[in-house]
Amino acid sequence: MENTIKVERAILNLTQGDLAEKIGVSRQTINSIEANRYVPSTVLALKLSEVFGKPVNNFFKLSSDD
Amino acid sequence: MGKQNYIECERRGLEKLINFRLPHNFYTIGMVIIGAAIVMMFVRAFALEGDQNVLKEVLRKLLLVGMLLMSIAKDKDEDEMVVKLRMQSYTYAFIAGVVYALIMPFVDYGVSNALKAEGEAFHDIGDFQVLLFMLMIQLLCFHALKRMR
Repeated sequence: MENTIKVERAILNLTQGDLAEKIGVSRQTINSIEANRYVPSTVLALKLSEVFGKPVNNFFKLSSDD
Repeated sequence: MGKQNYIECERRGLEKLINFRLPHNFYTIGMVIIGAAIVMMFVRAFALEGDQNVLKEVLRKLLLVGMLLMSIAKDKDEDEMVVKLRMQSYTYAFIAGVVYALIMPFVDYGVSNALKAEGEAFHDIGDFQVLLFMLMIQLLCFHALKRMR
């Protein structure tokens, strides 16, 4: 799974810490998601979608090995 | 009870079981218990005289209880990733515990007989040793995984 959360975060001018606080996770979790080390749950993906104001598909994409 | 209520009730029950963890305060309580147990172990070994087998057993159990509390207490910033890392650390601890219980009796026997002509007889390791090892592996793996995230 690939994502463009870093880009979406930059558009909204949010730090990892800000985004983490908004969706109720730790900063390290946001860092891991951005680095594709962790695939978040549907609940977390929908919370991100709410913050970014875009559908989940816009910032999460399946990669060839999924 | 309607069908929907029944399904909701089952879902809540399952969620409670899946999400069972103690509050973060228990982590500190566990550390205090471990600290006290270790100090008392030293006191028993070097300061107290006579047969202290009951105290020794109690202190061993206290040590395990303290580690168990640390193991199942919530993290300060608990989120779904931390939960996943904890689950993974239990998997590693389980595997390591089984391998340890299988191999250590042979290692003990081999080392003992290699060093002395008449070493120890072959015997299984005790429950305390296995549980202590598993809890140590779980706590170490959990913290290592958290650092790596």
